[in-house]
Amino acid sequence: MSTSRRRSASEAARPSTRCSTSPTTRGRAPHQCGPTLRSSGVPAVFQRPGDALRCHHAATQVERLVERVQCSTLLEDRRDACRALKALSKQNRVEVGAQGMDALCQVLDLDRADSEIVAYALDALCNVMSPDTFDEEEHPTAYQGSKSSLGEQFTEIFMKQPDNIGLVLGFLEEYEFQVRWPALKLLTSLIHNRPRDLQEIILVSPMGVSKLMDLLGDNREVIRNDALILLTHLTKGNANIQKIVAFENAFDRLFDVIADEGYADGGIVAEDCLVIVHNLLKNNTSNQNFFKEGSYIQRLSPMFALPSNTEEIGWSSQKVTNILSSLQVVRMLVMPGNPAQVTSSCQRTIRNSGILEALCGILMASGVPVEVLTETINAVAEVIRGNPSNQEYFLTVMAPCKPPRPALVVLLLSMVNEKQPLELRCSVLYCFQCYLYKNEVGQAQLVQTLLPSSAEVGTGTTGHLLVSGLLSGHMLSTWLSAVALSHALVENPAQKEQLLRVALATAPGANPVSLLHQCCTMLEQSNKVQSKVGILMLLAMWLSHCPLAVRELLSTPSSIPYLTAQVGASEHQEHEELLQGLCAFLIGICVTFNDDSVPSYTRENLCQLISKRVGQDMFLDKLGEVSKHELYSKAHKHPQLQASSQEQLLLDHEFCKLFKALEGMVIKAVTPKEAGMHNGGTELTLTATESSLLLQYKELIRSQDYQLQEMHQKLQQYESERQAYQAHVEELNATISQLRDQTRLLSAAANTGVTNSLSSDIEHLSIAPQEDTIRSAEVETELDRLRKDQEDLLVLLADQDAKLNTYKDRLRQYGEKVESDEETDIQNGGEC
Amino acid sequence: MSYAYLFKYIIIGDTGVGKSCLLLQFTDKRFQPVHDLTIGVEFGARMITIDGKQIKLQIWDTAGQEAFRSITRSYYRGAAGALLVYDITRRETFNHLTTWLEDARQHSNSNMVIMLIGNKSDLESRREVKKEEGEAFAHEHGLIFMETSAKTAANVEEAFINTAKEIYEKIQEGVFDINNEANGIKVGPQHSPTNPSLSPNGQDRGQGGGCC
Repeated sequence: MSTSRRRSASEAARPSTRCSTSPTTRGRAPHQCGPTLRSSGVPAVFQRPGDALRCHHAATQVERLVERVQCSTLLEDRRDACRALKALSKQNRVEVGAQGMDALCQVLDLDRADSEIVAYALDALCNVMSPDTFDEEEHPTAYQGSKSSLGEQFTEIFMKQPDNIGLVLGFLEEYEFQVRWPALKLLTSLIHNRPRDLQEIILVSPMGVSKLMDLLGDNREVIRNDALILLTHLTKGNANIQKIVAFENAFDRLFDVIADEGYADGGIVAEDCLVIVHNLLKNNTSNQNFFKEGSYIQRLSPMFALPSNTEEIGWSSQKVTNILSSLQVVRMLVMPGNPAQVTSSCQRTIRNSGILEALCGILMASGVPVEVLTETINAVAEVIRGNPSNQEYFLTVMAPCKPPRPALVVLLLSMVNEKQPLELRCSVLYCFQCYLYKNEVGQAQLVQTLLPSSAEVGTGTTGHLLVSGLLSGHMLSTWLSAVALSHALVENPAQKEQLLRVALATAPGANPVSLLHQCCTMLEQSNKVQSKVGILMLLAMWLSHCPLAVRELLSTPSSIPYLTAQVGASEHQEHEELLQGLCAFLIGICVTFNDDSVPSYTRENLCQLISKRVGQDMFLDKLGEVSKHELYSKAHKHPQLQASSQEQLLLDHEFCKLFKALEGMVIKAVTPKEAGMHNGGTELTLTATESSLLLQYKELIRSQDYQLQEMHQKLQQYESERQAYQAHVEELNATISQLRDQTRLLSAAANTGVTNSLSSDIEHLSIAPQEDTIRSAEVETELDRLRKDQEDLLVLLADQDAKLNTYKDRLRQYGEKVESDEETDIQNGGEC
Repeated sequence: MSYAYLFKYIIIGDTGVGKSCLLLQFTDKRFQPVHDLTIGVEFGARMITIDGKQIKLQIWDTAGQEAFRSITRSYYRGAAGALLVYDITRRETFNHLTTWLEDARQHSNSNMVIMLIGNKSDLESRREVKKEEGEAFAHEHGLIFMETSAKTAANVEEAFINTAKEIYEKIQEGVFDINNEANGIKVGPQHSPTNPSLSPNGQDRGQGGGCC
């Protein structure tokens, strides 16, 4: 399938060079003749006029061989020609590459069943695309003018046809050594020349990575080792390949190899394995999780086991490299840039698997090469960084000297020792910073060692070492100690105040001077940029968010005049802008965190001082210089100092974070509200946070306004309701008086023949319900009852009336005369 | 930490059917309504117990998008189990199952246990694929079947655990060659005498003291 596709592609490319002479005897499609030098599109730089004759001879020889490879019907013929091409491929690399590339690829495709010819073709291609130059090469200088090497140019041509890679990958499955090995070597050359392209092609070839991984199981060491070399390149910077390689049990296989090779004492093969492990974990959270979940951290621990006789047998350079690579792997898992959850769980596992302990063992062992020691300190730093339990453990590590001293103290001793190498001193600072990172207890303990009340004051404490380093007069020691000390104050207001209590006896008999005062004095007297920068960063950290410290600085007589003079000066010394910027920042902090307790330097006074002595704009310009400094962004990016020389040690990571956080606040504090603008500026001049704040307030006001309106409406509603109730009450009162009238009327009407109790009830009713509205109901029921009674009485009356009439009738019947009574009866009934 | 067996799983299926959410629900017991597209593959792990034995599941959640197909194919070979997921509210994801299954069968080892999962069972009102259809498909192709909801966690545990049970049974029957790691199964280092993990409090300090 792929064969026909390939052929049709090449036919399309050069239709005129078809060779029609050879009959197809084995069912093969007719071969095509190879391209000539000119038609193959090889850069003209390969040809040199001086060598024209010899070149021509070689070219014709190669041309003939290529033709034989392509057109011969007999396998033996093609095989011989291929062998000859291989033999020429070093000496006449240009010719074989330029003319024979297609023919050789064709062999890989069509003659793949014959391992011998395939082996020759692969060997020839290997030579043609090798990244190295061969001694016997005819004109090795021919391509030196070109940007890319000969091997690279041929690689590019070879890889234009991605199917070629698929063919070579296919040969990895061939067990025969003479095929598998050159195929592997060819891929190694290709990845050396064009790593990105080959990674992409292998990634999408079916089972490409898996085929390579299978080679690690090959019992022929050459193959396994070369496969490892290929993997070191293949796994570099490609997350997808890294994950597939990890999925194919890479960690198991690699640690098996490392163990076979003897861990740290293993040779370069162990190093290759560690480099691959490192590559697989680099910036790859998924693989880091897998590494931790698969319990591979534990498999690292034998790397750090030092035999007891290390000192006698010494450290081979390979062992140094292997341990350095293992340390790199450890650091990759706990790098400050990793997701926090990965880092903290790896830190825990590294501790539980005994690796942290082993690393601390290396720290305290004697005879450890300095590069190993430095990297071990860095690794310990990152393993304990921000992890309370590991930090606590680190504090308990003791150095095996007499009397035993804490490892932390021993490390700080080397930091303030001018004779120690720069990298080592920087790594100690980093380790110390990591120890203090998010460690309030550690910060407090450090400051505690400096306080007068403490019984621990002595020469051997961490605090004492740092202060003596600060005062040592050696600029690097001063800088390192200042930065270390400033980390005891990061986000810890309590310690900022505690440190104010530290007093120093500078000269025998003299009054003790406060540490802050001493820092100011050193700042004024020192003429070394590095020392000054260190002290300024310490002061900035100290004074930020701490009005008490600001007051202390302002009370030091010459401090503010010195700082303002510095900001305004132009002395053209090295890093002048940075120094001025830092001084401006410190003044700004004094304004921002000023509690107005020093009368001569209140917030307002300081602002006036700035505009008079320095000028508003100038001050802001100088302040801006800090973040413009070339080392600022570098320091801000990563917590670890990356310094190759002493001059590069100027800005510290935590300080840069502080600067970034406070810069806006400082600018605002030193910019006074301009006269005539009562609101302090228009909306246009506001910063992003301010305008968002403004928006928030506007929103608040809007919602409050709405609430107010709502309240008003409710009030009106209640008012009208109240009026309605008032009216209702009046209405009820009216009803009551009406009822009262009715009652009176009824009582008058019913006084004849009604019982005494009734009349007294009516009496009661007429007096009682004067105001009470509730009683009116009672009255009403009473009234109802009375009406009923009355009705009953009326019925009774009617009955008696009827009886009276009957009696009258009877009397009439008996002849009696009846008249007067009838009229009154009728009158009574009418009234009712 | 130690385990009797380790099984490798992959999760496959069309994009947006909830593969990553199933994994997150299984490993972290939470649901994330908005999830980024998976790029390539992501790894997750959890320990389960079957038959009183600790079994560690290592799960590779693959990207469903066509663009990553050639990359995700590399994961079939080394997996012992696969969760093939479709979305019951989108018929086309069900229609694509045949393609997925062919792909899986072609690139995986023949013993790989495949569990068919109809996800989003909480969205009954928007259902487009009947449960019976899923059952029928599974029956036809010899798969285990389950409807799940990564949102409500319904059947999520069961899906992962039942797949593991099936693999475990196959091991007991001797179908899997557990010494060949290419099958996606690893025997745990339970009774390994060379367990390198040391106690955190440094009881081995007698040895370590030499270099301290």
